[in-house]
Amino acid sequence: MEAIAFYVFAISTVILFGITALSKNVLYAMTSLAAGMVMISGFFFLLGADFLGVVQLIVYVGAVMALYSFAMMFFDATKDIKEKHGNPALVFLLGGLMALVFVVIFSAPIIGENMEALYPIVDGVGNAQAVGMVLFTKYLVPFEVAAIMLLVAMIAGIILAGKKMDKSLTTTVIEENPEDEILKESR
Amino acid sequence: MDATILPEVTAAGVIIKAILILAVISAIAGFGTYIERKVLAFMQRRLGPQHVGPYGLLQLAADGIKLFTKEDIIPQHANKIIFMIAPIITAATAFIALAAVPVFPDFTIPFVDVYVPSIASDVNVGILFVLGMMAAGLYGPLLAGMAQSNKWGIIGSARTAVQFLSYEVVTGLSLLAPIMMVGSLSFVDFNNYQSDGTWLVVYQPVAFILFLIAGYAETNRTPFDLLEHEAEIVSGYVTEYSGMRWGMFFIGEYANMITIGVIASVVFLGGYNDFWIFPGWLMILGKIAFSFFFMLWVRAAWPHVRPDQLMWLCWKVLMPLAVINVVITGIVMMIG
Amino acid sequence: MGLEQFKNRNVGTQNYVKLDLPHPPKNGWCAFKQVLSRSLKPELFVGLWVALREMINALFRGQMHTTQYPLEKLPISPRYRAIHEMLRLLESGHYRCIGCGLCEKICIANCITMDTRYDENQRKEVSEYTINFGRCIFCGYCAEVCPELAIVHGGRYETASEQRASFSLFEDMLTPIDKLNLQQEYQGFGAISPNADENIKKTPLAY
Repeated sequence: MEAIAFYVFAISTVILFGITALSKNVLYAMTSLAAGMVMISGFFFLLGADFLGVVQLIVYVGAVMALYSFAMMFFDATKDIKEKHGNPALVFLLGGLMALVFVVIFSAPIIGENMEALYPIVDGVGNAQAVGMVLFTKYLVPFEVAAIMLLVAMIAGIILAGKKMDKSLTTTVIEENPEDEILKESR
Repeated sequence: MDATILPEVTAAGVIIKAILILAVISAIAGFGTYIERKVLAFMQRRLGPQHVGPYGLLQLAADGIKLFTKEDIIPQHANKIIFMIAPIITAATAFIALAAVPVFPDFTIPFVDVYVPSIASDVNVGILFVLGMMAAGLYGPLLAGMAQSNKWGIIGSARTAVQFLSYEVVTGLSLLAPIMMVGSLSFVDFNNYQSDGTWLVVYQPVAFILFLIAGYAETNRTPFDLLEHEAEIVSGYVTEYSGMRWGMFFIGEYANMITIGVIASVVFLGGYNDFWIFPGWLMILGKIAFSFFFMLWVRAAWPHVRPDQLMWLCWKVLMPLAVINVVITGIVMMIG
Repeated sequence: MGLEQFKNRNVGTQNYVKLDLPHPPKNGWCAFKQVLSRSLKPELFVGLWVALREMINALFRGQMHTTQYPLEKLPISPRYRAIHEMLRLLESGHYRCIGCGLCEKICIANCITMDTRYDENQRKEVSEYTINFGRCIFCGYCAEVCPELAIVHGGRYETASEQRASFSLFEDMLTPIDKLNLQQEYQGFGAISPNADENIKKTPLAY
């Protein structure tokens, strides 16, 4: 049962991300990317990491992808994108090398057979609690650093966008209210 | 907490439950359109639909026949595949979200002895799952608007993105305070926490109001129905849709309304606990029905806001309020 | 009093009452105060209550506004000029039309067609009278010119029909003989004044 589910998720993830990489249409790429993210959250559910699966759903499928799509709204989504291929051989070579390096990096622990779960699931402790414990003990410093980084990014974003923030976009305050001459005369 | 041992949940039970949810909720969602038209009509001192069947009850069937037999138009320059998928996303995610929500009481089918649980899939992060699934449901409007190569559709999907980014923060933060109090993300735990008769809304009135506001934004109900506001952007993301594809958007929307009602009543309003002389199932049904009615009531009474007002409201008012609420809750829990 | 008041085309400016609207908030603190006062005022709940009150009024106090149109109709003004009616004499029940042909003559849309002949009493009778409602512009000249108040405009405003013949024949426009007591007198131009009986005098040239 789990094997079937795993293969279904795996195949559909690969196909969907393949579409993301290969499609020339923005809409197809975006949709398949989002669907692929959903499929990845399926893996988390299969592994019993409900919390991480849901976080994957909310963060990647929800927030990040909505931002992507918001950016893509400025393109004409119905037209295909013409990619520039300056030197296809070089691109192929570099891409292939990168892929090879990644495969080697991630398969090295498997070959060395020294891969083990550092934080195995503890009975009686829920997913959210387990994540919280790890996050606030061992990974506290990276967590806080990430938080500070996000804060910096937020401030930078506000400064970039905030030059005219004191002026409302909609309720335009008319500085001088030039009264109708007829109105003036009638008084 | 609960000493009664429940029978084992089998695959057959879950499948039966899923079919039950699909059948009943889509029927209720269809019926919801009738209720909405009727209640809105009464609030404007009109009669509403009344010619099909007694009191217009069969209007639902008439609408269904109309939607099913209507021509399924796909615009010439639309992105056909995405255009066809988008309504399915809305309807499907709405029902998937309902999988983790306690909908009907559990029961055992007599002769075949199959136990049908109250929740189809009792993930222990139920609330987050429902919220995540409803967030994923936003892809329906988003893709629909972008795929149809229509200016109104584009505006509709842009508003979807804006609205989504605005309310999602508030939804999460407003639910965080009750989650902290209960210490769990499971609906069952929320229900058991309130089994002594004190509803969580007593402790968390601010969170309740914030959640209601964000929930209305999530289901595109009237104060925040920017996505398809007829007076401004023809029909927004559904401008080019017709027939059953259009219908699927609305089944999804009404299913989401029911989901929000369930979350509000389980998390804040005491869940399916017995209350005084009323049994639990009646209480939960009554609460969901009232929450549905309240959505229609609000639609009849209040005007809708502009997109910039929604963003202003969510980011500048509701989010600070939610954060303050979470902080105060934390402090009180630490002291107490 | 010259012509000035007629030359002032700004109709109604003199009578406008300027509302005492508050100015938009000038700074952030004012905006904040405005938001606070607006959200703490129970105006939203007043709106909710009004909607609920109307619902209660409609459901339980019989104040439903809907007119179920094909089943019930709102009364229209007696001066309304829609599909023509041919009236009868109240005493004898004979139709009033004397076949003079004035309406046919004056009809600017050329939609009235009539034919007359002598009946057995050597009186003129209308043998054929049709109004082509595809052409009629409801100008009302026929009713105005009729010396006998025989053709008038009635209140039947549903001018949609499957075929023109449904209401263009003389018999269809004529008041049914059994509904003679319900026949309404046309109150428009040329109608008999309400005190017509009192105004009748003896002809001074009587022998």
